[in-house]
Amino acid sequence: MRRTAQVLLFPIGILLILVLTLLVFRLPLVESLKLLASGAFGDKFGWSRTLVKTSPMLITGLGMVIAWKGGIYNIGGEGQYIVGGICGAALAKILVFGGVALPPWLVIPLILMACIIGGMIWAFVAGLLYVKRGVEVVISTILLNFVAIQLLSYLVSGPLQEKKKQVPLTDSLPDGMMLPKLSRQMDLHAGVLIALIVAGIVYLFLFRSNAGYQIRLVGESIRMARANRLNVNRSKLSAIVLSGGLCGMAGGIEYLGMSGQLGTGFSQQWGFLGIPVALLGGLHPLWCILSALLFGALFAGSENLARFTTSGSALVYVIQAITVLTYVSYRAYMDRRPYLEAS
Amino acid sequence: MLTKEHTLCSLTIDEKHEFLGVTSQFKLMPNLSVKNVSKRYGPVQALENVSVEFLEGEIHAVLGENGAGKSTLMHILSGFTNPDKGSVLLDGIPIPLGEAFACKRLGIAMIHQHFTLVPEFTVQENFALARLDSPFCLADEGTLAKDAISTANSLGWKIDPTVRVSQLSVGAQQRIEILKASSGDASVLIFDEPTAVLAADEVEDLFRVLRQLKATGKCVILIAHKLSEVLSIADRITVLRKGHLIATEMRADVNEAQLADWMVGEMPEREIRTGASLQSPGLKVTHLSVKGDRGESAVNQVDFEIHQGEVVGFGGVDGNGQLELVEFLAGVRTMASGSCEWEGKPISESNVRIGYIPQDRQNDGLALGMSVLDNMMVSTFQREDLWNRTLLRFKAASEWVKSLIQEYSIKASNPGQRVGSLSGGNQQKVVVSRTLDNKPTLLVVASPGRGLDIKATQYVHDQILRARDQGAAVALFTTDLDELYRLSDRSYFMVSGRIQEDRGALSMVRG
Repeated sequence: MRRTAQVLLFPIGILLILVLTLLVFRLPLVESLKLLASGAFGDKFGWSRTLVKTSPMLITGLGMVIAWKGGIYNIGGEGQYIVGGICGAALAKILVFGGVALPPWLVIPLILMACIIGGMIWAFVAGLLYVKRGVEVVISTILLNFVAIQLLSYLVSGPLQEKKKQVPLTDSLPDGMMLPKLSRQMDLHAGVLIALIVAGIVYLFLFRSNAGYQIRLVGESIRMARANRLNVNRSKLSAIVLSGGLCGMAGGIEYLGMSGQLGTGFSQQWGFLGIPVALLGGLHPLWCILSALLFGALFAGSENLARFTTSGSALVYVIQAITVLTYVSYRAYMDRRPYLEAS
Repeated sequence: MLTKEHTLCSLTIDEKHEFLGVTSQFKLMPNLSVKNVSKRYGPVQALENVSVEFLEGEIHAVLGENGAGKSTLMHILSGFTNPDKGSVLLDGIPIPLGEAFACKRLGIAMIHQHFTLVPEFTVQENFALARLDSPFCLADEGTLAKDAISTANSLGWKIDPTVRVSQLSVGAQQRIEILKASSGDASVLIFDEPTAVLAADEVEDLFRVLRQLKATGKCVILIAHKLSEVLSIADRITVLRKGHLIATEMRADVNEAQLADWMVGEMPEREIRTGASLQSPGLKVTHLSVKGDRGESAVNQVDFEIHQGEVVGFGGVDGNGQLELVEFLAGVRTMASGSCEWEGKPISESNVRIGYIPQDRQNDGLALGMSVLDNMMVSTFQREDLWNRTLLRFKAASEWVKSLIQEYSIKASNPGQRVGSLSGGNQQKVVVSRTLDNKPTLLVVASPGRGLDIKATQYVHDQILRARDQGAAVALFTTDLDELYRLSDRSYFMVSGRIQEDRGALSMVRG
């Protein structure tokens, strides 16, 4: 009963926040809402924009869910996303531009795999520091983000730069070596489908598999896990490595689906945006689909809004921040009461 | 520069009267008196109509077993807990109950067993912190700490105020704790089991200081359960048992045996039962030592055997190595030396099935934020009917959990309900049911009835005896004598990491 009420209140609350923000920005209310809605869902191009922005956020969000469920506060999605992209581009340099003639159905999965492994390695560094030396993951992952950003800007103007050595970008993947698209006019690519499948897999992993169960248990109570002779460090390490793998995968989806090349602007904060997606999704993989869709729609809609008002793009971040803060404080408030329910 | 704190701390008794707005006709003898105090926690009556008087210039020991109500009483005196009924008078004036800061200002200081120091701060900074009453206090730490340092000198302690507290030994940290509490103008000093963490020579030094504090006219209240120490230092002794005041007597008028009787009460009768059909020898532990969290040898060279089909009880006061021994037997902690065999084989190579019911069920037994199902699954990884290799057979698991809910009559609406929303008794049933359903051959149980009402306790006890009758070797650890004698076929007592034969009330209090 209360659950249903919460679910119903949710869209109302977000609409309220949206309206308030528009009022504060002194934007014409009805016009702006119309622009936002048509930009996000107005036609098939709107849907395409929305979904294309949803997919990387959904995957990094799922990565955050795994880590945070395991009690590991991974803030390094951005770095893991970037390193994933780097590894993908590095492999592409060999397989696509290095004169090895392999079919796309082999190359694309291989590149995606490389991205996942890259993200895993980046997260593993933080995980190992935590397990062996007790270094706080929040700190190490934030710092590793900066390393990754600098590494990217070095590589795209160094070893991975395009053949002509003119601009700080990698070579652009030929269309045939990218994720299949729904149509030539739209950006909508198969990455959206992959993201949805990954959400399902993460759900099954967390709630139906032994390893996922142990990760959740360790996140909930280290002492109980220990008293039941479970390997706490192994669970923590696997939580962050899997999380990093998903963030790397998001980098791969963006690389193979959208950009086709890497530059310093490769990441549009998708790694960071995974955190609000995960939080708003209540750290539940399936609810994350909706929260990612919400943010995706906001981004797509605000692009439309930005054509008419300069504050359009800032608006999204404001709305997003307010939504997450409201939600998180609501959760914190509810969480303070659970043990009082016991009579 | 003087702060508000200084002025409040240095109030004379008359000024304190004024501070509390009391007219002169109510002024009485300076002392701390507790009048008809009662306090109830859920099903547990922690204190029932207790009245005691603590005088100035005396060392007054409050004795009692775990759970007798000592700590509750002291928390009421120091304003950490608000009693349900009754009053506390300081120098004839009611103290503001449940207001720790006000009580501290009135001169009631508590020296906690678990130190309240900031390890990363220097000694001086810790002293200053205790005297700081507003974030805008401008006095420097040296000035604020001066009182405490001079108290240290008068007590004959050499203290370096610039050392970090984390670098000090436990004994030295306790001195800082004492100085921190007593340096104001505290007239009542409450020590919560101060000797528990000290070595023998440190205890001597502490007692010297207690006597010195007494000589300066302070009222020293000592919470303790070690009889020998109490007898060597106290002037008067108050004994509590299960929340009731048993007696307050002068030291000269009592002896060890008398106090032990008062503390423990009538020894419960060991239940006569037909069960205990000793099967093959199960667990055999020889010269076992286990280290505690700080590297100390918590369990020291113990030997015992538990046959299959019997309950062996380990009694004694908490903190004598029970936790470490429990965790070793449960497979959570490793041994430092010695050997442990199951049916003649080293336990790691044997086919023993260990079941563990931890004492701290809310932390070690359960993950309160997770569902009943999740909490039940924790020891099922080997079961092929519930797990398809690494994937959960969700339907089978739900059915299994439902059957346990029914069999153990757990009041949970469905397997998805959060364990944290169940009552204490039902939470314990979750732990007990999942443990016993696994058919353990070695069952390690710690204080299974703690915090439960009579009915739930009875139920949990019956389940443990049922497991024994089905042939499990049961190791029971408890501080509750009733529980010990109701369940165990044989019993030992743990004292300072060693195992002693059961010698009745005296072994209970000798810790």
